[in-house]
Amino acid sequence: MVDGVTLTMGVAGSKLEKALGDHFPEGERYFGLENFGNTCYCNSVLQALYFCVPFRKQLLEYYTSNKSQGEADENLLTCLAELFSQVSSQKKKTGVIAPKRFVQRVRKENEVFRGYMHQDAHEFLNFLLNQLVDILEKEPHKVTSENAVNGPSNGHVNGVAKEPLVTWVHKNFQGILTNETRCLRCETVTARDETFLDLSLDIEQNSSISSCLKNFSSTETLNAEDKFFCDKCCSLQEAQKRMKIKKPPRILVIHLKRFKFMEQLNRHKKLSYRVVFPLELKLSNTVENADSEYSLFAVVVHVGSGPNHGHYVSLVKSHNHWLFFDDENVEMVDESAIQTFFGSAQEYSSNTDHGYILFYESPDADDK
Amino acid sequence: MMNSSASNNTMSSASASGNNAQAPGLKTYFKTPEGKYKLQYEKTHPPGLLHYAHGKTVTQATLAPLKDKPMQAPSQSSSSVGVSSGVRSAAARLLGGGNGSRALSFVGGNGGNKSINGTSTRIGSLGSSNSNNVVGNSNFDGKGTYLVFNVGDALFVSDLNSQDKDPIKSIHFSNSNPVCHAYDPDADGHDLLIGLSTGDVYSVSLRQQLQDVGKKLVGAQHYNKDGAINTRQEIDSCGNKDGSGDPSFPVIKDQTQFSISHARYSKNPVARWHICQGSINGIAFSTDGHYIATVGRDGYLRVFDYKTEQLICGGKSYYGALLCCSWSMDGKYILAGGEDDLVQVWSMEDRKIVAWGEGHNSWVSGVAFDSYWLAPNSDGVGENIVYRFGSVGQDTQLLLWDLEMDELVVPVRRAPGGSPTFSTGSQSAHWDSACPVGTLQPAPSTRDVPKLSPLVVHRVHTEPLSGLLFTQESILTVCREGHIKIWTRPCSGEKPIQSSNIDSFMSSSLKEKSLKQ
Repeated sequence: MVDGVTLTMGVAGSKLEKALGDHFPEGERYFGLENFGNTCYCNSVLQALYFCVPFRKQLLEYYTSNKSQGEADENLLTCLAELFSQVSSQKKKTGVIAPKRFVQRVRKENEVFRGYMHQDAHEFLNFLLNQLVDILEKEPHKVTSENAVNGPSNGHVNGVAKEPLVTWVHKNFQGILTNETRCLRCETVTARDETFLDLSLDIEQNSSISSCLKNFSSTETLNAEDKFFCDKCCSLQEAQKRMKIKKPPRILVIHLKRFKFMEQLNRHKKLSYRVVFPLELKLSNTVENADSEYSLFAVVVHVGSGPNHGHYVSLVKSHNHWLFFDDENVEMVDESAIQTFFGSAQEYSSNTDHGYILFYESPDADDK
Repeated sequence: MMNSSASNNTMSSASASGNNAQAPGLKTYFKTPEGKYKLQYEKTHPPGLLHYAHGKTVTQATLAPLKDKPMQAPSQSSSSVGVSSGVRSAAARLLGGGNGSRALSFVGGNGGNKSINGTSTRIGSLGSSNSNNVVGNSNFDGKGTYLVFNVGDALFVSDLNSQDKDPIKSIHFSNSNPVCHAYDPDADGHDLLIGLSTGDVYSVSLRQQLQDVGKKLVGAQHYNKDGAINTRQEIDSCGNKDGSGDPSFPVIKDQTQFSISHARYSKNPVARWHICQGSINGIAFSTDGHYIATVGRDGYLRVFDYKTEQLICGGKSYYGALLCCSWSMDGKYILAGGEDDLVQVWSMEDRKIVAWGEGHNSWVSGVAFDSYWLAPNSDGVGENIVYRFGSVGQDTQLLLWDLEMDELVVPVRRAPGGSPTFSTGSQSAHWDSACPVGTLQPAPSTRDVPKLSPLVVHRVHTEPLSGLLFTQESILTVCREGHIKIWTRPCSGEKPIQSSNIDSFMSSSLKEKSLKQ
């Protein structure tokens, strides 16, 4: 069935090959994804994940090891692995692939995505990553073998039983936030850690991602209705709270909260705010002053003026070239084109293509 | 439709706020320790302009203190502010009668500051004048300081000293967009340089453009027809630029290496400096013309000795590209701003970042020292020199800062000679001894750089800002979409006065000023 799904070679495909010429990266494939009726939310996220090289590499390794162990039950992970393997093993360098089986599986797993309505790409990414983690956690023998190879701390092959597993999906995307609350009466600081696979940031007009991250970690006072129960004082107290990043993830996924619920309208509204994002980024809101630099490698873009309709496309960096994926179409774009997806400084603007999910990679961690 | 002719005669803060009525939430003044800065008037492109390219280019503004053609070649340094009365008569003579009796006033002396960029580096071949054929003075009234700015596919010239919102001259480029420009009052006959998005560079006489009634460039010299596409190209007054593809220069072998090639014949461009990979976003000559600073996509600030063509020093931003840079008048400090939302202060003496200004909520797009600002109670000598500088950002804010070197403290002091706790090759390793000539510093750690807080934070436009200029009388803020606001200083050229008197003083001085006009 694998060969059967390759569609006709699009004009755009050959154009891309021509544009890349001798610079076409060895062994790399640039394939558009067919749209099965409003599945652009899925396609745009899949492209971003495909060009997340460490994730792709490990997924392909998983595919190979899984295949050698005989036919396993089909699940979202095997479908994704199959799709990635299908793309990477294409004879042609460019073209279009129909991610039919994967999309069917997504619809089977989650009724939200079953209809043909416009879906939220961030919700989909979140669902997908959590599903992958769940599936991997249910395969203890595989996870331990991964851990034995990759895990620096979890070296005990037998000690996996009830411990929270650190799968390779975790290793790529998971970071740890620490929620520090300081009771204003007894000054005791209570720190509570929580893991995250992506950061959802509130946005402001004419701001930068760095500034949104700073706001994310700004100190918030809990008072009045919203007091904090201090264990030491054994009562509700005023407190100061802030979120810091304790362990920065290897792949930092930032979700811009562009869809805001407006209470007076009783519906979501899209914020077209201009939020600039640099190609290189450092986190200033970390517990340890980690000066490691992230670089942007993918942007999922929402096109349209409202939350319930529109389109998703993605920008992806591969081998120092930027590519624009719009379902079936793939084309090369200049790095400077990224700034056209920052948003609009005015509320009503003809530009409706806005960066929605940003994928940053830490090169320091790219040692495998 | 929004002609501000009504406000021409009634110069008061009321009219200024009237001008600003279309932008609710924006204040028409901001307070500093020395008094209130007030929005005096605005400059923008004609209201009808809705070109397809509008919004795709970023407006930059250049001050052009148009100087008279020096008849006796007084070799006046452009750093000297103010012009003798001898020039006034010469100006009148040159411009013909009528309203030409107005003195050329270099009130916007900071334009001189900017134009100094070219002065000392200007090469002989540019000096040849072809502006002798002065014909009439159609819409050119001969006032001194002009404001040149680009919007979409057009370049506009406004009279800085008039209240008129609309420009007095527009030049349209049909196939390309002007993206940058520079002015040198001493570059006779070719005092205005214009760079296009196609990589073309033109040098023209501003006076000649103002005298011409058409909408095209006249008497332009054209350089760099090389088709290199780089929308952020910057030019200097020699017409040098970091381009590629000019057939008269050899192919760049290694894009990552700094290399200079000279033209084989004495023609322009005379040299090609290949500085780094990616675009160069800003260049600035030191006041004495000795050094040239560049900032670019790779995040590095670089300082070159212009004559010897050697890299002197430089360093990386905290992260991301650098977008703008500017020298202090004494050449001791360079400001740079960029995508890390920081304003960095680079010391030429220490060859490193000595302070980071934290306060912008988005990228820093314009930085400049206020060379007209006098530190309170400064005796001009002591060690503790205070500098005032400003920055504008894509957060639509203007920030003003004071830099007082004695107050800068490294957040975490390290034991001299290096404590055992730090092992990374961070900048602090070079803290005591300046690094060798020609080395680029890595991005410093946040712990190693003292932080500055802004003195003033003021939201000045609704659009992201792109430029900042200081003149003796005012601060000019430029937004990407081509709106320029002129903020008058608390008191022009006078000793600081009590803040309670400022309002009355302001209004009287402004009345005086409008009477003069």
